[in-house]
Amino acid sequence: MARDPQLLKGVLPMLVLRTLAHQESYGYELVTRLQAAGLEDIAAGTVYPILSRLEREGLITSRLVPSTSGPARKYYLLTTAGDEHLGHAVAGWHTLSATVAQVLERPPTAAPAAAAPPTDTTRDQP
Amino acid sequence: MTTSPAPARRPSLPDRVRREVYLTRVSWAMQDYPSKAFTGIKRELRAEMTAAAAEVGMRQAITDLGHPRVLAEGYTAELGRRLPRYATGAAAAVLAVGALVYLAGAYATGTLDAIEAMGGGTVTTHPLGAVTTFTHTATELSVQTSMSWQGALMHGATAAVAFVLGSRLWRLLG
Repeated sequence: MARDPQLLKGVLPMLVLRTLAHQESYGYELVTRLQAAGLEDIAAGTVYPILSRLEREGLITSRLVPSTSGPARKYYLLTTAGDEHLGHAVAGWHTLSATVAQVLERPPTAAPAAAAPPTDTTRDQP
Repeated sequence: MTTSPAPARRPSLPDRVRREVYLTRVSWAMQDYPSKAFTGIKRELRAEMTAAAAEVGMRQAITDLGHPRVLAEGYTAELGRRLPRYATGAAAAVLAVGALVYLAGAYATGTLDAIEAMGGGTVTTHPLGAVTTFTHTATELSVQTSMSWQGALMHGATAAVAFVLGSRLWRLLG
């Protein structure tokens, strides 16, 4: 089943932080790690703007590492502030997902109203 | 014995052209983005594209980034605030001043036609403080005018108002 991109959009920064907390990565590698984790439809063009914002907000930092197969690569890693932010984000996610699960698992109290045919009230009764 | 790292592989010329064309399209879509920040973003994108191309090829690296406009919108959205549209404002200012020039030309043409209908001659007027002479005779067809501070002020104010409205300059306030 296709994943709703709007659902992913809200949690993607948290997933990026979590992935970087596990291991520092350069941009393209991070994308492939997210794809390998199950987010197959995630695109590099979605992740790069998030990396830019997280770095601007001081949640991640970067360092250049020379590469033999191309230009020096910019490796991103979590900062202390990013680690704290990740902790809050994960806690918030667990709270939200528990609430959502509770709402979704609640049994319906009444059957959804079926679309009834329109009634003509202007017709004369016999 | 010491070993030095192998030299980094440079993308081929066609790949560099593809990369720069893509970056130009991103630049065009982000022309209202704060220039200093965009310079950094462009540098990083170039490096990421080159790094990705070393693994999957430049075509795939560009495909993975998606449409340049969508990528630009992603960066703008992550900025967390709405940006003035300077390019749109500049276009609006040019159009507004162009409209004034067109109206002045139409006024001059109408005046010359009126002078011709009256048998020809010379008329001097003072629109916005500028001494303007219209001549339509058998041997001469001309309009001579000068720039006045009132005229300059009107054109400047028109351009400024059009720029502010077109660029939504108030977005700078937050």
